[in-house]
Amino acid sequence: MEQVVQQLINWLALGAITALLAVGFSLLFGVLNVIHFSHGDVALTAPFVAMGVLIALPAAGFGVAIIAAIVLVGFMGVILDWVSIRRFRSAPPMMALVATVALGIVLRELIRLLYPNGSNPHSFPRLFEGTAFTIAGATVSWLVVAMIGCSVLTMFALTLILYRSPLGMRIRAVSQDLEMARLAGIDPNGIFQATFFIASATGAVGGLFTASYVGLMRFDMGIIAGLLGFSAAVIGGLGNMTGAIVGSLVLAGLETLAQAILPDGAAYRLVVAFTLVLVVLVFRPAGLLGRVPVPKV
Amino acid sequence: MIELEAVSTRYGAVPMLREVTLRVGAGELVCLLGPNGAGKTTLFKTVAGLIRPTSGTVRVAGSPDARTERIAALGVGLVPENRRLFPGLTVAQNLCLGYEAVRRERVGFDQGLEDIGRLFPRVLERLDQMAGTLSGGEQAMVALARALIGRPTVLVMDEPSLGLAPKLIREYFRIVEELHARGSTVLLIEQNAGMALRIAQRGYVLSRGSVVADDAAEALRKSSVVRNLYFS
Ligand SMILES: Nc1ncnc2c1ncn2[C@@H]1O[C@H](COP(=O)(O)OP(=O)(O)OP(=O)(O)O)[C@@H](O)[C@H]1O
Ligand SMILES: [Mg+2]
Repeated sequence: MEQVVQQLINWLALGAITALLAVGFSLLFGVLNVIHFSHGDVALTAPFVAMGVLIALPAAGFGVAIIAAIVLVGFMGVILDWVSIRRFRSAPPMMALVATVALGIVLRELIRLLYPNGSNPHSFPRLFEGTAFTIAGATVSWLVVAMIGCSVLTMFALTLILYRSPLGMRIRAVSQDLEMARLAGIDPNGIFQATFFIASATGAVGGLFTASYVGLMRFDMGIIAGLLGFSAAVIGGLGNMTGAIVGSLVLAGLETLAQAILPDGAAYRLVVAFTLVLVVLVFRPAGLLGRVPVPKV
Repeated sequence: MIELEAVSTRYGAVPMLREVTLRVGAGELVCLLGPNGAGKTTLFKTVAGLIRPTSGTVRVAGSPDARTERIAALGVGLVPENRRLFPGLTVAQNLCLGYEAVRRERVGFDQGLEDIGRLFPRVLERLDQMAGTLSGGEQAMVALARALIGRPTVLVMDEPSLGLAPKLIREYFRIVEELHARGSTVLLIEQNAGMALRIAQRGYVLSRGSVVADDAAEALRKSSVVRNLYFS
């Protein structure tokens, strides 16, 4: 029983982090029609940015560094769009793919070179300390509570922005018909910037929790985190926010299950996860809830 | 209000519009006729700034070569080919975007809705419906309503009557005529030459990218050019 509850909690924690990355992939794809493969790398710069802020301004305190990292990574997304991704908006998908993959490599290498001792893993502090409560013998840490709580709040806020705000109405208009949106006086560049900020800042929250959950940060953590987030978005249906959340829970559920029941399951975590991605792509190319199949590149 | 001066465009290496000169003065209702592939939609897109001419000048509401995003705010209502409602937004949201496109603010939108309700009572019944689920006729009406709600002074429409039943077409043309009577400037792009020439004052005929006729509606109705292009 204790084991089962513990695994359920692990599942939710993992799902919460994955969803924070997956919604960004989905949102960016929906609006830009570009699969932004470096989104995971952008998100996972957040722990480095936070620690960098702390190194540069030790007086600022950890809380300020975290907030600063979220905002700075949001702007980083906007800048990356401006210098690179926007140039591939009407290019063949293959070019956009190569470009965003290359961008991810550039980001990882920059962290490695610019962060002190960047090739090595560094410890990353727990964002929240201590045990929140025990349930059926399983202990639930404040960190996990915060992860799940923040993720749910973020999803709620994103839903409000997308479906209840004038900005969200414009974001959706651009994603549904770019040319008509322009005829309706909407400047798509402003919308792309807003979308990049929202997606990257959301990803940063996921990146910070990821580092905090495993207790360390490494320059190449964005690869796996990004692949998992992207896969979750694909499983749920790209361009669909609910799909991204459902996809994250399904993917995290399978990973947790593999870890719990397979001997040496932790090693097979990713095998199982990406097998699921393959299965979904073969049988439901549009994803569980999606309508748009992943574009062939 | 709309002036094209010797405008040429090309798609890649292929020339499309060839030195097209077209003028719609304030308060005029002018129609643009032409068979499939003549370049009518290309002309619409050129007026809307979506296509840049390779030579010649486009002037909309006095503004030369305005960017697409700025056209509506010049007081221009646009009904593009195939209506192009935002399918995943509600009718109300589509109308709201149409209003803000021209007005650049939300203030007065409720009043705008009321006014639109007088022209299109049925549109008001469907405000919360997703635009993508409307019938073709309803979409046509909402597309016109979206272009009109911000009270533009100029209206440019690309085959708004396409796919409508005859009764709806008459209704549609009646509304356009009424708008014109109230002082709007209208450029009406149409295949339906008979209907268009009945309400327009002047007309242009486009064929393979060139203006082949340009006359009073009355004269065009009897013209052999129009007859040959459409009925031969
Ligand atoms: N983006 C494009 N690239 C290349 N050729 C194009 C493009 N858009 C249109 N054309 C070509 O330009 C010509 C004119 O097209 P246009 O859409 O302006 O015609 P139209 O008069 O509006 O016709 P219809 O009455 O069928 O709507 C056509 O031959 C079309 O195939
Ligand atoms: Mg056309």
